[in-house]
Amino acid sequence: MSLEIQIQEGVVAASATTTVKLSGSLDTSTAPELERHLAPLLAREGGVKDLVFDLAHLKFISSAGLRVFAATRKQLKERGGQASFIHLQPQIREVFDIIKALPGVAIFKDIAELDRYLAVRQRSHLEK
Amino acid sequence: MRLELHAAPEEVMRAVEALRDFARAQCLSEKTVFDLALALEECGSNIVNHAYKRDARQKFNVAFERNGSAIFVELRDRGPQFDPTKVQCNPPANEDEPPGGWGIELVRHCTDELQYKREGEENVLRLTKRLIPKEGAT
Repeated sequence: MSLEIQIQEGVVAASATTTVKLSGSLDTSTAPELERHLAPLLAREGGVKDLVFDLAHLKFISSAGLRVFAATRKQLKERGGQASFIHLQPQIREVFDIIKALPGVAIFKDIAELDRYLAVRQRSHLEK
Repeated sequence: MRLELHAAPEEVMRAVEALRDFARAQCLSEKTVFDLALALEECGSNIVNHAYKRDARQKFNVAFERNGSAIFVELRDRGPQFDPTKVQCNPPANEDEPPGGWGIELVRHCTDELQYKREGEENVLRLTKRLIPKEGAT
């Protein structure tokens, strides 16, 4: 099973957001491919602040994939952003749960739930 | 089924695909197929990355079989002696660091038994996955 990676620019909660759609298998063989695709997005100059991983069509994940997510989350957090995850299939969700992989990680049922969360977060930032 | 594999990530996934095909042919649930695939992926990756340090000239073996109401997966490598059953999942120093031992933690959750022995120059790791009642009934 291979990994397909689609990167899309869009608007969530009135902010420009980059969504990374993953289909197939994120494993020991394909995790480096995801790292290569994420590298320009995470570049210090001109890199993104927030990333949404849409896992609707991700069928398999192992610790190799979780480590890419953990590293991405760490880099985004260092610049005040965050990684969010939507549309986790039950078996993928279970792997996240087993590891409690990414403590404090933002997992959402769908884009609408993420949208509401980001809107609240933006309001709270504005009020500070 | 027995496979001889080179120490490369693609070879680990070749074994995972073969195990998936085997498990589906046994009419096992997709949950069981996923668990078996994940356990083998993690153990195979450990051999490739740690025992053989990605030296693709090295080889290891994977075998799997069904015996009654359980699936057995056996991995054999000739790397340095290493007992993964002794590995603890260490909590991270802070929430941004991935904890050590994620892979073996996943294997523990996806299987019912994990046995290790050193046989001569070989590490032998045997995974047992018990099937739920009526699963894979033929």
